[in-house]
Formats: sequence, structure tokens, C-alpha cells
Amino acid sequence: MSAFLRLLENEVQIVALLFLATVYLFRVLWILRFEPTRERTQPAGSEREGITYSLLNISMPWSMEAVRKKPGFYVQFVIFHSGVTAAIAATFIIPYRPELFQKRAVVLIFQIIIGAAFVVGLIRLRRRLKVPAVRLISTPDDYFSLLLMILYFAAAVLAVPNRFQAAEWPLILFFGLTAFFLIYVPFSKISHYLYYPFARYVLGKTMGHRGVFPIKKANEETAFGPPEK
Amino acid sequence: MGRQKNESPPALKSPLETNSQEKARAANLSSVAEGRLKLYNPQADNVRKFLDLLERKINRSLALSFVACVHCGLCAESCHYALARPDDPTMTPAYKADQIRRIFKRHKDWTGRIIPWWVQARYPRDDEGLNFLKNIVFGTCSACRRCTLNCPMGVDTAALVRYTRGLLTELGVVPEGIFNVNRDQWESGNQMAVTEKDYLETIAWARDELESETGIRGIEIPVDRTDCDFLYVINPREIKFDPRSLGDAARIFHCAGERWTLPKWGWDMTNFGLFSGDDRLGAYVAGNVYQAAARLRSRRIVISECGHGYRSTRWEGYNWAGRDQTVPTESVVITLIRYLRQGRIKVDPVKNPDPVTFHDSCNITRSGDLVEEPRWVLRRVCADFREMEPHGRENFCCTGGGGLLSTPEYRPLRLEAAKIKAKQLQATGAKLVCTMCHNCVDGLADVIKHYKLNLKVVQILELVSRALANGNVQS
Ligand code: SF4
Ligand code: SF4
Repeated sequence: MSAFLRLLENEVQIVALLFLATVYLFRVLWILRFEPTRERTQPAGSEREGITYSLLNISMPWSMEAVRKKPGFYVQFVIFHSGVTAAIAATFIIPYRPELFQKRAVVLIFQIIIGAAFVVGLIRLRRRLKVPAVRLISTPDDYFSLLLMILYFAAAVLAVPNRFQAAEWPLILFFGLTAFFLIYVPFSKISHYLYYPFARYVLGKTMGHRGVFPIKKANEETAFGPPEK
Repeated sequence: MGRQKNESPPALKSPLETNSQEKARAANLSSVAEGRLKLYNPQADNVRKFLDLLERKINRSLALSFVACVHCGLCAESCHYALARPDDPTMTPAYKADQIRRIFKRHKDWTGRIIPWWVQARYPRDDEGLNFLKNIVFGTCSACRRCTLNCPMGVDTAALVRYTRGLLTELGVVPEGIFNVNRDQWESGNQMAVTEKDYLETIAWARDELESETGIRGIEIPVDRTDCDFLYVINPREIKFDPRSLGDAARIFHCAGERWTLPKWGWDMTNFGLFSGDDRLGAYVAGNVYQAAARLRSRRIVISECGHGYRSTRWEGYNWAGRDQTVPTESVVITLIRYLRQGRIKVDPVKNPDPVTFHDSCNITRSGDLVEEPRWVLRRVCADFREMEPHGRENFCCTGGGGLLSTPEYRPLRLEAAKIKAKQLQATGAKLVCTMCHNCVDGLADVIKHYKLNLKVVQILELVSRALANGNVQS
């Protein structure tokens, strides 16, 4: 392995990760600078249950009508984010547990997951360009982030066999992109995963307090009669 | 001629009408003189003022709703405007929210400040830009919160819409109809400018009517009685257009042997602060109700059938007024459940034989806690109750929410969006559509008339009153 690739896989990644962590910390502090709202009413439900429901909402595709209507959207979501998780895992496995990728089956599983995410990325790009409602709300950042992800998935598929003896460029591309990502992500829409828990927590707290979350079907509730209020 | 594909609705081009504002200025109304009711000033740097207000009024949950959107477009599946106009991308909730989001990003977000075009961040150029924003937030959204509950990221688009309305209201960049109701509520304490004399006379008339209609002697509609079980607060529509509703309530309370009262002041539980986004107005109107309960030493506050009134008085009002809730505050539907459970009223469902469906008010079901309760009552007072699909927390707006009934300039678009509601209503095969909201009564009636549906709108009190079995007066 060349000294450049070794540096890229190790020190460069650590520096980029530290940068990401620092910027994220500032992002969190920035969010916390906004005044929280104070609820002064007596509750009709449980804030804790509301928060839990809200945070777990993503694992309950049946809980949102929009997702029920578009189950394919949810399947794509799962595949895409599994691909992200696998690609991120690969950035740690390659330098720190390379023996894992000596097993053909492991490499294949990673390539299938990331490859499927690559295909979903292309489908998403097509949707963003084709569906007028999505095209209208898309920004250059949305397109660039998606293109970057697609490229990243492609690079990850090529990199996971970790055959640097044969050719180093797939690994250089993959780790080069990872480093770029770590620096770019906090300034892009990809940072949504940082906001996600905060946004869902705040919504869940309000909705839980009011008894809106967890959402139940009206006819289920009626079977037990109305609650004492 | 049919609508062209992708053509934006004319509502988005409505100019800012300021005739009523001019009149209010000329009349030197106290709310104007004291700076409570804000008027448009074309000479002012309104964009700068808007940005200052944005900075001052933002809170954490709004900031999160600004930054968390990933532009997935899934919310288009849940909005009746977007569903009714599938070829018009400007009806997508995220597009509507983006009109304020891009200003927030330009003003507050790192990337938006450094490379604005990258995230499409931009300031409104001038007052025309603010007027466009007005048309978006007042004209293309009924703040029903359906998209909020269907956003995987937890973005509260309806809250962003209300927030933007609040900023624009501070600058007088509001639809004339909304301004007029704001003015009336500031000036008279109620949204229909009902005078105390009219209020008291209508109550006396409603009581007399009730007595002669039911033959029940000694029935009362008390005003300003102290130490009652509850203070009953109503929608001014019940005084101005529909005293029958107050009569139904009085009859039921009488049969249950209730000790209740209306207040002489602070009786309006509706609140245009919710629609105009003006928290100060919201605090003032809700505060009037809370003060009336304290003044009359009422043990609880009971809110008559009104969606936004319930949300404002039970939930938002305490927060707007900065007042911890100490008095139980409930919808009259909860009171009815208590009566039925305790056997204080007896009902016979055979008296309501027609098929009835129920329309959930957005403000009660998605911003409040009542879903199963009205159904529990309806199943006891109607012989044929049937759900509409979807219902409960997934129900579609009556299309008259968010103050849209006061804005004629947005009516054509509203009625176009109402085709979703019309289909939903028609599919039930019901003869009556019941709702626990006066605003929804008008909204639904408009939809029914426009789409020529064979339905009549009723309310829960009316059905309960009709189902009352005779001779069960407790007092
Ligand atoms: S508001 Fe939610 S559903 Fe709509 S585009 Fe944004 S993230 Fe997607
Ligand atoms: S709040 Fe309702 S009307 Fe407004 S954008 Fe969301 S779904 Fe549409």
C-alpha cells in the first residue's frame, strides 16, 4: 500500500472526522440558542410516550398515511440508508479490520447493499428531475448531495474488496470522497440526520402532551370508550 | 376554458387591499392608537422590519422545522391543495414553507448566508415580495397540519405558516378579511363585533324561544352568575347567526341539572390570533376568557363546539397569555360524556334515524386531543353512525380552516381544493354530516353547496338535544 493511501485511510479521515464533530457541535449549540417553548397547559397525554412514538415513527411505516400510499418510497428509504450505513462501516473496516473484507461473502453482502443504494440513488435523482413538485423545491445543494451520494456508493462498491495490490485508485476515490463528505456534510442538506432527532423530539413532546401522539385509529379507541378527562 | 397544466392559481397574485386599514386609521380606533392593531405603512422599510421580527419571534421548534426539511416532497401526498391540483407544484406544502424557509436560511443559516444560491436562500426584494408571501401563507394553506403528521422528518409546516402570518400581520400585510376580524376582536373583544346589548338581548330571546319550543318552564341561560360548576364560552356565530346552538346547550344543561353561566365579558372563545399568527391578540382574547372564569369563580371552563376555539382556549391560549393553567378547561363534548355516563341525561338514538357521518375538525384532532370522544357520543344518540374515510387524525380539512372563510379572494382556490372533501363526504352515503366546529359548519356548507351534495351539516349538541328523552330534568 502506498504511503499516500495509508495517510488517506488513517490520518486524513481522523482529521476530517474531528472537523465534522467540531462543526456538528457548533450546529447543536446553534440550535440550542433558539428559545425553547414552554408548555403551560395541563396534559391530555404523555410527553414521554409522544417523544418515543415520534422518534420511532421512522420504523413504523404504517403510521403515516403518505408512506402507506407510497410503500415503494419507504422501501427506497430503507435501502438508501442501509447503503449509507454500510459505506460508512466500510470506511472503518478497511483500515481497522481489513480481515473482514477478506471473506468473499462479506464483501458480496456489502456490495449488494451499497449497489442497491446506488440504484435507489439513481431512481431518486430521476424523481427529483421528473416530478414537478419535487423539482420545484430542489436546490443545487439537493442535486449535488444526491449526485455525491450516488458517486460515493459507486466508489464504495469498488472499494470494499480492498484489493489495493491490484489497483489503489478505487480506494483513493472512496477515501477521498469520504474525507470530502465529512467536511461538506455539515454545510449541506445531508446534515438532516443531525436535526432529525431534535425535530422529532420537539414535535413528539408537544403532540404527546396533547394526546395526539401516539396516533391511534379512532375506531380502535372507541371500542374502549372515551378516556376520563 | 379549463385550467392549463402547471398554471399557478390567481390567488397567488391577489394585491394587498388596505381600504379597511385606511378606515381604521381615519377612525383613530383605540387598538390602532395603542399600537395593538398594526397597519401597513408603504413608506416604511418593511423588509427590514420583517427580518427584525423574524429574528425576534423565532423559537427552537420553528428553527428545527426550518432546517430539517430534506425536500423529499412526500408532504404533497397529504395536502388537499396538492391533491386537488396535481399539476401545480406550488401547492406542495414544502414549496409553501420554502417561501419563508429561504428567508430564514439567507438570514440565519451558515450556508445560506455564505453561498445563498446553493440552497436557494434569498430575501424578499420589496413589499411585493411580502405580498407574495401573504398570498402563499394566507391563501394556499388552511393550516390543517395534515402535512405535519405526514412528514418523516417532523417538519411542522403548519407552524411555519402561522409564524409567517404573524410576522406579516405585524406589518399590516394581511388579507383584508383577516384584518377586519382582527380589528373587531381587538376593539369589541369578540370576532363579530357583537355589542353587549345585542349579546344580552339575543340570549334573552333564545331563552324565550327555547321555553316556548320545549315547553320546559324555568329554563335559564344565566349570565355572570358566580360560583358555578362551569363557565360556558361560545362562538359569536351562536349569537349572530345560530342561537339554536346556544339553545340546545341550555336545554341539555337544564336537563342535566347543571349550574352554569355565560360571562358578560370574555364569552368569545374563538380567537383570530390563531389564524393571523398574532400571539398578542391570541393572549388578549384567551385571557378574557380566563379572567372571566376567575372573576366568576367558575370551577371549570367549558368550550362550546368550535375547533379553533377549542385549540386556542384549551391549548394555545395559556401559552400565549403566559399563564399556567389552573382551571380545568374542556370541550362541551366532554361535559356531554359526563352527563351520559352519570345518567344525568337520557337519550334515545331512534330520534336521530338518518345516517350520520362525523367530520373531525383539524384543530381538535391534529392539534388537540379529541378523536374518540365525539364518536362515543354520536354512537349513543344516532341510530346510524358511519365513519368517513379517512377519519380521525387523518381526516381532511373542511377547507374553511385557517381563517380562509374570511378571505373571499382565495375562495375559488379553496373550493377547488375542496373536491377532496366533497368526494370523501359523498362516499359515506350519509344524509347528515356532524361536526363539533362552527367554522367547519360554514366550511362544509360551502363545499356541499358548491359540489351539490345531498347533505346537511349538524352539530353534536343539536343531535344530543334532539335525542333527549323527555322528562329527565334533574334540577
Ligand atoms: S416537509 Fe417533510 S415531507 Fe415535505 S419535503 Fe420536507 S421533509 Fe419531505
Ligand atoms: S397545513 Fe394542510 S393545507 Fe397547509 S400545507 Fe399542510 S396539508 Fe396543506
